[in-house]
Amino acid sequence: MPFRLLRGGCPYCDLCCTCEIARKAVYGRDALYPFLPSKEFGDVQAGGEIFFEGYTRFYNLDHVVLLPCLFLPDRLSKSVELGREPLFIDVDTETTLGGFKVKVPLVVAAMGSTDVANKRGLVLSEGSAKAGIIQVIGENVINMRGYDKRISSQPCLKERILKYLENVDSDYGGVLIQQNVEDANAELWNKVYSDKDLDEYIERGLIGFEIKAGQGAKPGLDGEVKVNRELALKLKNKFFFPDDPEKVKKELYERHSVPGTFTKEILKDMIKLAKNNYPRVKLWLKLGPYADLDEIIGVASKAGIDCITIDGSEGGTGMSPIAAMRELGYPTLVCLKKITDAKSRGIKTSMIIAGRLFEGGHLVKSLCLGADGVAMGRPFIIASEGRFGPANKPVKKLGNQVDGVVNFVEAIKVEAQMLASALGKYSLEDLSKGNVGALEKVVADMFNIQYVYE
Amino acid sequence: MTETVHLKKLDLSSPNILPKSYIAIRHPRMKKVLKIQATICMAAREYLNSLGFIELLPPIIGPVTDPGIRGAKQVTFDFYGREYKVMSSAILYKQMAMASLDKIYFFSPNIRLEPLDSAKTGRHLVEFVQIDIEQAYANYFDAMEIAEGLLTYVVKKVLKEHEEDLKDLGRELKVPRRPFKKLTHREAVNILRSHGIKASYEHEIPWEAEKELSFMFEDPFFIYDYPRGARGFYDREDPKRPGILRDFDMLYPEGYGEAVSGAEREYRAEKVIERMRATGENPAKYGWYIEMLKYGIPPSAGFGIGVERLTRYICGLKAVWEARPYPKVAGIYSP
Repeated sequence: MPFRLLRGGCPYCDLCCTCEIARKAVYGRDALYPFLPSKEFGDVQAGGEIFFEGYTRFYNLDHVVLLPCLFLPDRLSKSVELGREPLFIDVDTETTLGGFKVKVPLVVAAMGSTDVANKRGLVLSEGSAKAGIIQVIGENVINMRGYDKRISSQPCLKERILKYLENVDSDYGGVLIQQNVEDANAELWNKVYSDKDLDEYIERGLIGFEIKAGQGAKPGLDGEVKVNRELALKLKNKFFFPDDPEKVKKELYERHSVPGTFTKEILKDMIKLAKNNYPRVKLWLKLGPYADLDEIIGVASKAGIDCITIDGSEGGTGMSPIAAMRELGYPTLVCLKKITDAKSRGIKTSMIIAGRLFEGGHLVKSLCLGADGVAMGRPFIIASEGRFGPANKPVKKLGNQVDGVVNFVEAIKVEAQMLASALGKYSLEDLSKGNVGALEKVVADMFNIQYVYE
Repeated sequence: MTETVHLKKLDLSSPNILPKSYIAIRHPRMKKVLKIQATICMAAREYLNSLGFIELLPPIIGPVTDPGIRGAKQVTFDFYGREYKVMSSAILYKQMAMASLDKIYFFSPNIRLEPLDSAKTGRHLVEFVQIDIEQAYANYFDAMEIAEGLLTYVVKKVLKEHEEDLKDLGRELKVPRRPFKKLTHREAVNILRSHGIKASYEHEIPWEAEKELSFMFEDPFFIYDYPRGARGFYDREDPKRPGILRDFDMLYPEGYGEAVSGAEREYRAEKVIERMRATGENPAKYGWYIEMLKYGIPPSAGFGIGVERLTRYICGLKAVWEARPYPKVAGIYSP
């Protein structure tokens, strides 16, 4: 079978599940090697990729490479500690991220009410909790799917929250509940904070809140989905519908959230109010690729935010205008640079980068350049399919989709361990700028790292 | 007779008593507290009426209510197809009423579905009544003056009429010495810090720290000029000192903590809309209120004083629910 393996990270994904992401979800750590399902070890040989499938419009993490050395005093220290030669399995991936203890600094990025995400909500919750990583539940779920009772055929918000919390292992991870303008109108955080069923988990420090202030695929536009007529009629007073469901009859209606107005003072007030009102939860901030990121990071960290996630313009979505995805905002690499700069200004707040990142290499390189973690959205949707190959003719399909999420995290983790150990770093926290170089002069200058051709 | 014996064994400050409030209400101690509470309410009315304030009937429900309540959930219900709220405070209506009658007050029943950790503080009720006062063209020092006068008058009246009852309750109550001490928020934070208690110039004083501070004083006192950020959108920011609100709290001494919250009010729509965003909501939700501000209302100042907390302080009660005949506390199912 001439099976062609895609790397993943396609602009438009219809869940064909023939990419490395799907492969990792199905085969876990076995998928770290380039053997195709039809070709076993012994029948193939391999070398690194040297071709681009297409030219990217802008620089990305593919223009950054890791720089292993032979002389590694750090490996010697580890060897002394262990009393044996270290291996990749000795790389510690555990850390704390934005106030939560995690097994890997990898986050399931905010996925909200949109069909493609919400219908997988319970699988994502269970999988990420079992894998010991943080999950952010995105916007609009309360209004579109209900708080504690289903208002559609899909899971409601509390089901998604509880599914995560009931599967937490040894208090690793945490679940963040994102709030946008319409969620705030519905008093989302107040509901969560005074919910008797969630109080135990609040006390255990497993719940956080995230202020929604944009995303990579549509900064300044906020949530857009299509809903059927029945739901459109229910939501008419809560959202903007270009076609009034009472007057215009169609199958699906565009539903828009508002982006929300922010100024320096408003953001500061918002953070201070939330910190005051909800002292037992951590507070995160989700940002799009804004031109004023430096200032936003400064204001938010000073006001006491616990973690900032920045989603570059390559970031994914369930629905966004093509023009917005094409035109709005900094590429992910520039957002990462903003994190690097903030760290060098002495800002201690945890910062997470997101936007078309889907490999262990992306995680390791991001950490080298100053991020504290990486958030992924669409890769987890693919992973939650638990299938390798097209739906009508899968090469392999897992019995339980939850395993797809767990396997994917395991694969990313081991990938990161292998890469970090090659650099002689036995904790992901020890990765630094010195471990990376750039294939382009511009990128080298931008991050002040080695230009490898010089 | 058996009932009396049984009653006397009851510990009214225990949360276990809450589901049995129909028994607690008959406790001799409770009877005394409720009689004192009636005097407190009467005295408060006397004092405010003497200053020319008009008592209005309080609002119970409306399309929106005060969102600036620390983490508490509002009661939302269906009002003929639209969402309505039960008042968490009457602030929006105080401004509405003050614009007509200048000096007004309500005995305002409020519902706040407080977070569950509030059940442990002994000073939070889900259902309570505040005496809510507003005066047109007043500033926050005027409002503090009224709060001080009100408390002093009420204490004097209770001492005069309930000397025996207070003795039976084991309460040694003194008439507060006027003028009450006034600390800026910054000064209060400095005092806390000098005692090794963590507090920040930028943030509200945490509950525990506030309690500690309250223990350091023998008379009620004010903290004013809170930092912008954690208070309702209606507390006016000082135009000459951005980041500082022209607002205040009054605290009871002896560890009883917060008594009163008050402020000069923001009355300009554009400022209110900006400040409203702190909760993340769409100002459209506050439609009638914004329209009213655009229509125009006078500047004002006012405050609210919780009747149950006032009773708790005057009677020297351990828990605030001892000061309410049918108390509701977060998470406890009770009559």
